[in-house]
This record gives sequence, C-alpha cells and structure tokens, in this order.
Amino acid sequence: MPECNNPLWPCAMTGAAACLAGFDGIAVVIHGSSGCYYYPTTLLHAPLHGTFICEDDVIFGSEGRLVEVIDGLSGTGKRIAVITTCVPAILGEDIRSMLDGHDVILVDSPGFSGNVETGYAKALAMLEPRINPASPSVNIDGVCLFDPFAVGNEQEIRRLFTLASVPVGTVFSRDRFDRAFRASAFTVGTNTDFPSGVGEYLGGMLGFDAIRATFTRIGEVIDGAECDPVYAELDQQEERVVRACDKYLHRYDPPVAAVFAGSSYAAFAARVLRQYLDAEICCIGSRTAPGDAPVPMVEAAGLSQVKNLIQIHNPDLVIGSSFERSVSGTAAFVGIIPPLRGSIRLAPTPLAGINGTLSFVEQVLNACMDHTP
Amino acid sequence: MTSNPLPVNSSRLGGCTLTGAISVTSHVRDAVTIIHGPAGCSHHNVSLLHASWLDNDHAILPELVSTGLSETDIVFGSEETLRKSIRHAAGRDVRAIFVLSTCIVETIGDDVAAVCAEEYGIPVVPVPTAGFLGGTFHDGVNNALIALAATAGPCRKTGGINIIGEMNLEYEVEENYTEVARLLSLLGLTVNLRFVHDISYDQLARLGAAQLNILRSPALVPVGEVLKERFGTPYIPSFPHGLSGTLSFIRTVAGACGIDGQEAVSGECVRQEEMIAGFSDLANKPASLDHTLSGAEEILAAEELAAVLDLVVGAPGKSSRLPVSAAIGTVGTRRMLHRWRRAIHA
Repeated sequence: MPECNNPLWPCAMTGAAACLAGFDGIAVVIHGSSGCYYYPTTLLHAPLHGTFICEDDVIFGSEGRLVEVIDGLSGTGKRIAVITTCVPAILGEDIRSMLDGHDVILVDSPGFSGNVETGYAKALAMLEPRINPASPSVNIDGVCLFDPFAVGNEQEIRRLFTLASVPVGTVFSRDRFDRAFRASAFTVGTNTDFPSGVGEYLGGMLGFDAIRATFTRIGEVIDGAECDPVYAELDQQEERVVRACDKYLHRYDPPVAAVFAGSSYAAFAARVLRQYLDAEICCIGSRTAPGDAPVPMVEAAGLSQVKNLIQIHNPDLVIGSSFERSVSGTAAFVGIIPPLRGSIRLAPTPLAGINGTLSFVEQVLNACMDHTP
Repeated sequence: MTSNPLPVNSSRLGGCTLTGAISVTSHVRDAVTIIHGPAGCSHHNVSLLHASWLDNDHAILPELVSTGLSETDIVFGSEETLRKSIRHAAGRDVRAIFVLSTCIVETIGDDVAAVCAEEYGIPVVPVPTAGFLGGTFHDGVNNALIALAATAGPCRKTGGINIIGEMNLEYEVEENYTEVARLLSLLGLTVNLRFVHDISYDQLARLGAAQLNILRSPALVPVGEVLKERFGTPYIPSFPHGLSGTLSFIRTVAGACGIDGQEAVSGECVRQEEMIAGFSDLANKPASLDHTLSGAEEILAAEELAAVLDLVVGAPGKSSRLPVSAAIGTVGTRRMLHRWRRAIHA
C-alpha cells in the first residue's frame, strides 16, 4: 500500500484473527507484541492469546516464548492457531519446525501482507474446510467478527432459513470448529467481502432482489425447501419500504448520497438508495477492491481520500463509518462499516436478509428527515 | 508465563511505544505525524484515537500519515519511502512533522534519524518509537514529550504552571485537567501550558516559562527530570489522588510557588467534609475494593476513602465489589463515590 493519510482499514493479521476467533474450539495466538495483540482484541471482542514478544525474543529468537505459550494452551481441548505478525514474519525463524510435535494451525499473515480481507481469506484457506455432500443444508458465509452486522446477519439468515424449512449448514466464520469439516455443498453470502469459497455459491442476501433470487436457487437445489413464506414476507416488507420511501419523497427531494464501505455493502447501499429513494449516488468509495455497483467505485482507504470525495460531491447523505461521519459536516449519516464509534450499539442489527434492508432504509429515512431543514 | 492478557500477569503487556508517542504528537494541532511502517500499524492507532477523541467530543481526527510499507519496502529498505512521505507532508500547510518508527522498521534497520536530519524547510522531529522494540506505551509517551521538549528554547520565567503528560487517551482527561486547574486557582495560579494537549507547535516555545511542572503520573519522572535540567523548572510527580492526597497537593504546590496555602487547604477540607456527608448512606456497608487495574496511589486513596466512609471492607460474607480508579482531586473522588454507590445498590 502506498503512503496513506489516516488508513481506515485494518491489516491482514486482524483479518486472520477475525476468521479464526469466530470458531468455537480454536485457541488463537497472536505471535507478536502486545501492541499488535491489543487492537484485534478490542475490535473483535473475542478471546485471543498472545506471545507478547519483547526485544530479547527478537534478538535471541522467539521459539522459547512461542512454545511456552502453546504449552500453556495445550490440554484445553482446543486446536491452537498461531498468527504471525510483521516482525516474527521477517525474522527468518522456521516457525513451522518450531511447532513440530504440536498440532497447530499456522497462518503467516503479517500486517504488511495485505488488509483485513486478505488475512481472513488466508486463515480460512489454512483451515481447509471440507464438504459433506450428504448434508441437505446451506452454509452461511461472510459472517466475519470484524463486521458489526455479522451476528445480526447470521441471526436473520437463520430466521429466513427456518421460514423456508432449510437447514443451516456451517456458518463461516462463526460456528463450532468441527463443523468447518462437515460443511454443506451449498452456500449463501451475507457479506461477499469475506467469502468462504466453500461449496456452490447460491447467491447473496443483501437486498430484496438478491434474497428473492437466492431463495429461488435454494428451492431448486434443496429438497424440502418451502420458500413461499419467504417470498410472502419479501412482498409484504418491500411494500412497506416502498410506502415509507414514497411518503418521504412526497415531501423531500431524493438524497444525494456518498457511499463508503467494503465493496459488498457499498453496492448494496447504493442499489437500495437508488431503487427506493431515487437517490443520486454521487460517489462510492470502497475500502476493498472495487466491485460492481450502480456507479463506478473508487478505492478510498484513507481519510484524505474520503474527505476529498465528500468535498467534491457535497452529499447530503453519507453512508460509511464514524470516520466518514467525522468529515461529513452537516450531512445525514448512516453507519454500515466499522468503526461505528460515538454511538451505543447493543442489539445485533442485520444488514443482510429482509430485516437488514428494513433496518437500513429505516436508518436512512430517519437520518435524512432529522437533517432536512 | 501464560498468555493471559490481564496486565497483572505480565510485564510484557506494557503496550505499544508507538501508540504512546502518537497520543502525544497527535495533540499538536498544526503538525503532521508520519508513522513509518505498514498501514495496519497506523490504522490501529487511528482507530484508537478516533474512539478516544470522539469520547472527548473531538470529531475531527488528527493528521496521521502512514508510509504504507509493503513487502517490497521491507526487503529492499524503506528510507526512500520515508523521505518521499516527509517531502510530501512538508509541502503542505503544516508547522512541523513528527516521524515515528515501528517495530518492523527498527528490525530492518532503517536510519530514521538520518533521513529526518535532511533539509525539508520545516522542523522534522524524529521520535524514538519502535513498538515493542522501543519499550512500552509509557516509554512512547516519555520519548515523545522529551523529543518535543527539545524543540523549545530557553525563555524567561513568566509564572504559571505546566501540566505535563496528560493521559490523552483517558476518557476523563478533560475532567481531570479541569479539577487540577481548579485546585491551582485556589492558590491564584493559572496554567501556562498543557504539554502536550491540544496545542499549536508555536506554543511549545512557552514550555520553559512556567515556575512549576505538574506531572500526570510518576511514570513521567524521567520527563520531569529532563525539563528540570533544561529549564530549571521543579516538578510535582503526580496529579492528586483522593482526599488527603488532594490537600497535600495544594500544600506542596503552594510551598513550591512560595504561596501561603492554608486558606485554600481549609476551604478544600470543608468541601470534602460536605461531600463525604452526602454519602453517609454508605456507612457500614460490606464491600471489597477491586484492585485489578489500579496503581498504588489509587489503591491508597480508595482505602482511605473507605475508612472515612466507615465501609466494612474485607469482612466475610457477601460484599459489593467497588471499582477503584484514578480519583483525581475532590471532584474525581466524588465521581468514584457515585460509582461505589451504584455498585452497592446493584
């Protein structure tokens, strides 16, 4: 990554931790300093372990320290996963051979190797998930602890699956560890910035159109799936969204919206705003590799890029993180990516599923009405 | 040693030097901080600052520039990358640039000080930080304060008090400052400089003008010593904790400044007695003090407070676990008492 003013997206090590810490049955060890340990711990709200290496470990080798920590975790019944941070990654130590005799998953995912989704993908690949073709269920992927909507998304998709009598397969990455090796042959996505790559992908769950299409595919491949209750709810709730947005448009002009998020959520937000509010999407800044969206995405990984886009386009609605809010002036704001600082969030709100779209539209309308003179 | 993250279990958990230094340099409003390392190191700190600044009602983030080191930089060296970032920052409307290094840069052996010593047209101040290789969070704070102090020249003593090394990531940093400023005002004293909290680069020049430095905590004694040697300014090693600590603080400041502080002490004593009377409902309640994250001064202040309130501490049976935190001055003590009452009523 070139020089960047106030980088807004975490590193690969954090992504690897977000993946592995989501599995119940894995003890995650951050092999690095306390500084490297502190950030994912506070961000992910998951139990992590650390080697907390010091200068002596760098000079004289970190083997003793790493083995000491791993020995301390042995006997807990959990599979141990070690994630390397920047300094251990370049020390030239053969960490794999250090861990001979220990059943350890080693993820070489130093911060300089990429960003959060790079590390997430690498960690998931190291787990080597396996499919049980006999399982008549559907996996849910994109559930990454880094995403503040992950738990809400999972709960919402489970609800919809229950409505449609579809058994839930493995949730990547928030499930029992052993279930990673008994995954279903089919998968739906909640946040495609964090794909599992496991099984046949049936579609995403962001937005009513995508949900409808995905359940159509589910109905085709899963015996016993009864998707009519989901379609009925989709019709009913979409009508509510249309009515609420139409009422808004009776009185106000459509918002001019700047959208900042990972590619997946950004595309979702832009489509919903355009479809139901006839919003003008003045720009989309993506934290991750830009993808398909109603208007071209540009990469916006630093605060100065975000600030420039907002100054150029002068939106009256900004979708993003609290970083965006800090440079949005008086524009209405809705948060969809981390960090979401400065407000209390306790309930597991979704962005995916029917309730995810309802929640997003509700927040947008309330924010716009609060800010419209 | 285990990997238990509780600080009580390990001296390895001193935190990141870089974070400590950033908590200082980011409070010079018209300067830019360059973090020479991977973008992830900067993001971790940007995110942390963002959270703590929002907590303190500062919506605007400070300027933190990452040199964004990649695998290639790490293999082939990254001094040129740093040079480019400094030149780029120097071309903007800023008064100074602070350059902070990271673990990885220290490990690959970049000569950060040499790159900073080149001519850029504005002051470029290297701060020795290298994550865990540079020491702990407190070392980062101290190193940054000492590096910034070196930019201030000698100046005439004009009176006033410097507040040194406020914990800028602390949730109640403003409230603690306000309380100390109030205590100083009882003696007719004012603050000369908050070194370093929300100041401009030019204000650093006033550092030597104070008649007394008050350190936020004893961990800053090395900074106090540097300032004493450089400017001849004496120091008090800590903000006041608890009831008697506050009265003693007033006496010590008065003594150091050659002021008769008796009236101020008497007035504060009355204020404390009135405050304690307002919490008389806590008397005889069984309680234990939660020492988990507390320092020695905080524990002493809490034990004194529990005794004054006639709490029954350490008795067998069920008791309320009372949070012990930094109770700065009388007002800070009152806030802790409200939390104690909440815990007892819970």
